[in-house]
Amino acid sequence: MSTESVTTQLPPAQEASLKKLTLIWVLTMLALFPILALLGGLMRSAQANLVTNLPADRFYSFMTLHGVGMVGTWFVAAMAGAVFCLRRYVAVSVKVNWIAYFGTLLGVVLLLACTLIGKYGAGWYFLYPLPFKAMGAWEGWATATFFATLGVLGVSWTLWSLDLVRAIAVKYPLSAALGWDCIRGKKDAQEVPPSVLISLVATLANLVGLVTAVVLLVLLAIEHLGGGTPNDALLLKNLTFLFGHLLVNITLYFGVAMVYELLPAYTGRAWKNNKLIAIAWNIVLLLVILAYFHHLYMDFVQLRWMQLVGQISSYMSAIPAAVMSIFGALANLYRSKMRWTMASSLLFLGVLGWTIGGIGAVIDSTVAVNLLFHNTLWVPAHFHTYFLMGLTLMVLGGCFHIAEALSGEIEKKWLSKLVLVLMCVGGYGFLLMFYISGADSVPRRYASYSPDIAQGIIHAKIATAFVAVFLVGLLIYIWETGRRCVRAFRAV
Amino acid sequence: MAQFNSLLLFLALSTVVVVAFVFVARSTRNPAEVPYGAVTGVRRRLFWVMSVALLGFLGLTLPLLPYPHADQKPDRVVHVRARQFLFEFSDKAFPEGDGMAVPAELPPVKAGELVEYRVSAVDATHGFGIYNEKGDLIHQVQAMPGYVNRLRVRFPSAGTFQVLCMEYCGVGHHVMRATIEVAAN
Repeated sequence: MSTESVTTQLPPAQEASLKKLTLIWVLTMLALFPILALLGGLMRSAQANLVTNLPADRFYSFMTLHGVGMVGTWFVAAMAGAVFCLRRYVAVSVKVNWIAYFGTLLGVVLLLACTLIGKYGAGWYFLYPLPFKAMGAWEGWATATFFATLGVLGVSWTLWSLDLVRAIAVKYPLSAALGWDCIRGKKDAQEVPPSVLISLVATLANLVGLVTAVVLLVLLAIEHLGGGTPNDALLLKNLTFLFGHLLVNITLYFGVAMVYELLPAYTGRAWKNNKLIAIAWNIVLLLVILAYFHHLYMDFVQLRWMQLVGQISSYMSAIPAAVMSIFGALANLYRSKMRWTMASSLLFLGVLGWTIGGIGAVIDSTVAVNLLFHNTLWVPAHFHTYFLMGLTLMVLGGCFHIAEALSGEIEKKWLSKLVLVLMCVGGYGFLLMFYISGADSVPRRYASYSPDIAQGIIHAKIATAFVAVFLVGLLIYIWETGRRCVRAFRAV
Repeated sequence: MAQFNSLLLFLALSTVVVVAFVFVARSTRNPAEVPYGAVTGVRRRLFWVMSVALLGFLGLTLPLLPYPHADQKPDRVVHVRARQFLFEFSDKAFPEGDGMAVPAELPPVKAGELVEYRVSAVDATHGFGIYNEKGDLIHQVQAMPGYVNRLRVRFPSAGTFQVLCMEYCGVGHHVMRATIEVAAN
């Protein structure tokens, strides 16, 4: 029986439909995540020479599937979780949410087809003109299907994002929702929950990224279908990284929105919006867009001011994150009557992972350091920290919270502790090997290592062992969360 | 050395963060109301410490940008062209078009001289990463079709330096490499 007692802006039939859809999102994520994680483990095993019969074209197609799959899976999981939390304040269109789900499913099918059958292997960020320079590794139809995947996902997610903006705008004027009234000190300013502010910031930035992706696809279509001349590689690289950078960062922000919303339920302390939080997130909206320049430091032909803005904005973006959100979470927790459960522990550990990932990111966002770290394993080190031990843990915490609340089945403490220990030991051990490899100049995206990069092989072996530990914890989590979701689905 | 120092800095700061998180987590064993002023005071200190530290690092590192200075004249220019999956080197600019150049023996560059590598590509975007004999990455730049990136390098000593591709460029990315011989000056 559900123990959830949250109010909702939706009428009963739509509330039931959104609950069902959210449970389906969670179950879909629980199905996709271990498969994608296994692909990642397989890649590390190949780099470790533990798997020796994986051809390079297969490695790179798995790498592409793993990258697009993980980014996509965690975006939809984080956004679905945030939407579920936000129903307390705004009335989203449940129909649009279902369209987003089925659009995503179609995108997944297309992605599986082009990578597993077509062996498309241009990487998740499809750096122009590589998708069209397969050298026989994949066929033209696989490239076309990949871009169809992006088109389908892009349309679905744009509709989804626009609906969320619409729902927020119906309830709160923009000046209130973005915290401008609060910043100006307007008397009787409408109180806006921080999760609404953060979700709006994330969605607006996401829309900038999605429009960028549309421009990118149109330019490619003109070249390859419209008989146009080859595109400018630097322009397309800028567009690609603006799109990708925004997508992964706003995914993290949706996870953070869930932390702001759910953590107080466990600490028993409110976490209300205030002038400083509003200022911080408005600064984030600007800085997250400017910081994308840090992906192009090694393009010496990029305009010099862009390189400087890249480092400055990357550094400065650490301040609102650390001072308002991370410190805010710790302050909310400090000496509170915190209920330590699997859900709340995962939220807490997710904030920790976000912080550690941020340290690695700021170091790499220094141009002089990036010269030595760019495209080494330091890069996957920091973004896997953000994603695996940051965002993923936040969302897993949110999902378990939802599953537990809607099913009414409380966790088994000893099993929860086991899951947390396995995931932390496995996850951080896996990541440490990436950081050490990066500092040892091991290049990223190599299907195998030659003898003069022998240290890469050793680190990959150790990393594979830690992946196995993490996966055991994950499988227990999936079982515990999945069966609660199924039970809750039957009860809705 | 710089890589090792960065790793140490990362581990040190991460340890501080973990200690702080453990401290906060353990504090929940003794719940109590915390005065708002105490919280805002700590937050203000955190803001100033972070701002000063980050501005300090900006000040230290921005002057160390690896981009060529217009007033610096290289002692030697070497043209590099990347293609799937090899690097071509030439003392002269490559002709227009993407036909393979006739391989020619290049005189080795000399230790201590300022070498400018003019790096481009004919197909996908590649990465031109120079590794020393210890296997440390010491310089890199992107190799992009339609553009010439100028990387200026002063090799500290004679030896054999490896070039590895640093930008994923397709199925042969992991075997794409070259060698730079550096002679004593």
